Amino acid sequence: METVKKKRNPIAIFFLAILGVFGGLQLFSQPLEGKPVTKKIEAPREVISILENSCFNCHSNQQNLSWYDKIAPVSWAVNKDIKRAREVLNFSEWEKYSPAEQQGKMYAILNMMQSGKMPLHEYTLLHPSAKINQKDIEVIRKYTLSLSSVNPTTQKKIEIPQASSILPISASTKFPVSPNGVQYTPDFKNWKVISMSTLFDNSIRVIYGNDIAVKAVETENFHPWPDGSIVVKSVWKQQVLPDGEIRPGKFINAQFMVKDSKQYKDTEDWGFAKFSGEDLHPTGKTASFAKESCIACHRQLTEKTGYLFDVPMKVNTQRLIQNLQKK
Amino acid sequence: MKNTILILLVSLVSLTACSKENNDKENELVRTVFDPGHLKFISNSLNPRKETMSALYGNEKALESLSKESQTPEAGAVMKLVTWKYHDNPQYIGGTITGELVSIETVQADQLGNISYDIKNDLLQNSSPDKEERIQYFMSYHPVSRP
Repeated sequence: METVKKKRNPIAIFFLAILGVFGGLQLFSQPLEGKPVTKKIEAPREVISILENSCFNCHSNQQNLSWYDKIAPVSWAVNKDIKRAREVLNFSEWEKYSPAEQQGKMYAILNMMQSGKMPLHEYTLLHPSAKINQKDIEVIRKYTLSLSSVNPTTQKKIEIPQASSILPISASTKFPVSPNGVQYTPDFKNWKVISMSTLFDNSIRVIYGNDIAVKAVETENFHPWPDGSIVVKSVWKQQVLPDGEIRPGKFINAQFMVKDSKQYKDTEDWGFAKFSGEDLHPTGKTASFAKESCIACHRQLTEKTGYLFDVPMKVNTQRLIQNLQKK
Repeated sequence: MKNTILILLVSLVSLTACSKENNDKENELVRTVFDPGHLKFISNSLNPRKETMSALYGNEKALESLSKESQTPEAGAVMKLVTWKYHDNPQYIGGTITGELVSIETVQADQLGNISYDIKNDLLQNSSPDKEERIQYFMSYHPVSRP
């Protein structure tokens, strides 16, 4: 009898202790900050139903959490994820985005779903009903593509752009600086073009790389890209000529990615910056702006190429290039 | 004699092995960046019908000619038009990106003003474009607008 008692006691104490610790943890579990729905996204019912079912729990102010999501320590992770998710995309504050941004968000959603990055795997493990299938993705794709015609930004009128491209800018000119410290430099106009691209918003883009970046592309040294690599994407509105050919029209912005593993740890070692309009005004209010915007898509969709979207495709042979470049 | 044959055999084997390796390397797919040499990027275009995008490079003289909207390139002007096929961006639905290199065309005006035209393409196409028409096409580009 005495031996049994001796054996039982430590187990009971152990469980009591666990229970105590667990109970104690709840004291430190703060409920998620409730926020009002200012304007919910408007879309066809089938689209809304997919978003509500698979995305709203994190990306909105309308949480419908399970009991286990509210218990510490799970609740700590859940609350942190929701806070970050709302910063990137919030379906309950849809009016905060311009029509162009709303369209961009829908493309980001489509790409995240198609690549299997969203909803997060960790989330669907505990919430299997939030999983999406190919049919859901098709619904989102159809809706997203239908948005393209809503916001045409193509220039039909022929304007002759100012020829200010390669003219030297005086060294005394102060160049704008992004809140995270990335400074605009016109040097990219003399760098090699690594690729050209377009986007659904009827823009045409030329992507330049400095020597370090070009070498990284050619040797596929993406994991990680060497420090000092700079890639600049210059974006223009598309201008359509009478014969249907498209040329760059009005300048929209120049987007920079600067590789610095010491300074930009939070954004996969890349410093992001966007300088828009003729005055090249930098995007972002705080140094951490890219953490809430740029990196979310780059991180999820472009890990293979070291977080860049527009690296040249691997489709040419050395022989062809040598033949064509021969004088 | 035996030794000579052996040496010949070994060198033959090693030589062919070597050339095969080179061959493999030349046919290996790579990510290419066009090297325009001393020329600089001036403008670009997209042809939805042909599904191609082109970049126009040139020297200072070429830039001057195009800025002035001249009909013909000034003496000393060198321009290259590099054309690529484009594809849906494999990393982003809703975007396109350049892929296979299709052709490199060069227009050059010597000091006397004689204009030459040359095209190098991927050998799959057998085209000999009209020289005058192509020169006119080159001259239709305006330098891109940038602050």
